[in-house]
Amino acid sequence: MAKREIPEINAGSMADIAFLLLIFFLVTTTMDKDTAYIRNIPKKIVNQEKKPPVEERNIFAIKANSMNQLMIRGVIISNPDDISEKIIEFYRTNEIKNDPKNNFPMYSRASMKEIEANLERALEEAEKVENTPGAMQDIIDFKYRQVAEWEKKKRALQLYGKKELPEIHPQAHIRIEVQKATDYELFTKIQSEVEEAIYELRNDAAMKIFGESYDKILSRYTMDKSPADKEKLDLLKILYPDRIIEVTPKR
Amino acid sequence: MSKFKKDNNKSVPGVNTSSLPDIVFMLLFFFMVATTSKESDPSVKVVQPEGTMATDMTPYKQRSEIDFLYIGKPVNKARAEAYKKLGMEYLLFMDNVAQSTPDQLYNVNMVKKWKLDKFESKPARMSTPIEGVITCVKADKGTPSGLIFDIRGELQDIDALTIGYAVREVNKKKEE
Repeated sequence: MAKREIPEINAGSMADIAFLLLIFFLVTTTMDKDTAYIRNIPKKIVNQEKKPPVEERNIFAIKANSMNQLMIRGVIISNPDDISEKIIEFYRTNEIKNDPKNNFPMYSRASMKEIEANLERALEEAEKVENTPGAMQDIIDFKYRQVAEWEKKKRALQLYGKKELPEIHPQAHIRIEVQKATDYELFTKIQSEVEEAIYELRNDAAMKIFGESYDKILSRYTMDKSPADKEKLDLLKILYPDRIIEVTPKR
Repeated sequence: MSKFKKDNNKSVPGVNTSSLPDIVFMLLFFFMVATTSKESDPSVKVVQPEGTMATDMTPYKQRSEIDFLYIGKPVNKARAEAYKKLGMEYLLFMDNVAQSTPDQLYNVNMVKKWKLDKFESKPARMSTPIEGVITCVKADKGTPSGLIFDIRGELQDIDALTIGYAVREVNKKKEE
């Protein structure tokens, strides 16, 4: 048989095929990220004792009714975009100087000495409870959590670099009260405004203290989890805590 | 000037395109790898509300510390009518409740079972405690908030204490 030459396969159209696939993937890819507001649900309390009274000045109540109308601290508002400004006012009013006459939460200003004294006392108490025979583990844990809290405050003040650590009243919180028929859209709008206000407060503080934005610290921390960034975030959290209570609607 | 002799007869050589497929394939593979497909296609219609400053869920997705729950009206019109007659307008869609009925819709009663099943089916080495697993609620704009709180109550009962309210992030320029 005569020697036949095998013809080469023409690969010229390979690029076309690949382009077709490429365009298919380009079109079908959705690049939108999933985003959400993460909230913690409080643990279920089995035997509800009498609720401790909360001073009115410490509550920032945002109410929405079934007609999707808004009320903030007893005042009806028409534009939901105003919520974040009101929240900032709630945090800022007494931040520099307490004025008992207004209706906003008070600030405490602990010096290093006070924090250290409290830390010592908490530590002593924790050890005492631990050495008591028959002490409940829950209580021991609780005491040590308190110790950790004071240690955190101590580090925060060191980082803050001022004489005193301003702290909003521990009961100060944002309360979201909606009704059953309130639209989810309005509910998330409220969440969005709360988040915006907290972000702005923390960002301002971050720029002032560290000279960089809150976003930057936060995204760097999610990347490499460095302890220095954690301390920075802890300080910002102590200065502007995000205590949000979502009230389960009854009607 | 014989060194630079002009050779006007020579034609321009064609561009060698033999490596074009390689380049295109590289792009192709990039997109194939970077694409994250939706875990499931919900059979309820969800138009998400808009919001700012929401947290990105991608890291949680990568660590599979998140379960998605969809709330909306059924896509299928006839089905929506049928449910409406039963007094249910907004329904829940959960992935992997039962493999045999992938597009089944449920009401709130199913949340506990779904959540616990999902939690138990995860391999032990990557088990975050159930309090830490986010339940991300992707609800339609018009969903009544009461339904969200019903789900919240169910989650509270089984100690799944982290909830995410999904929104579509809109980049409102920081006014400064």
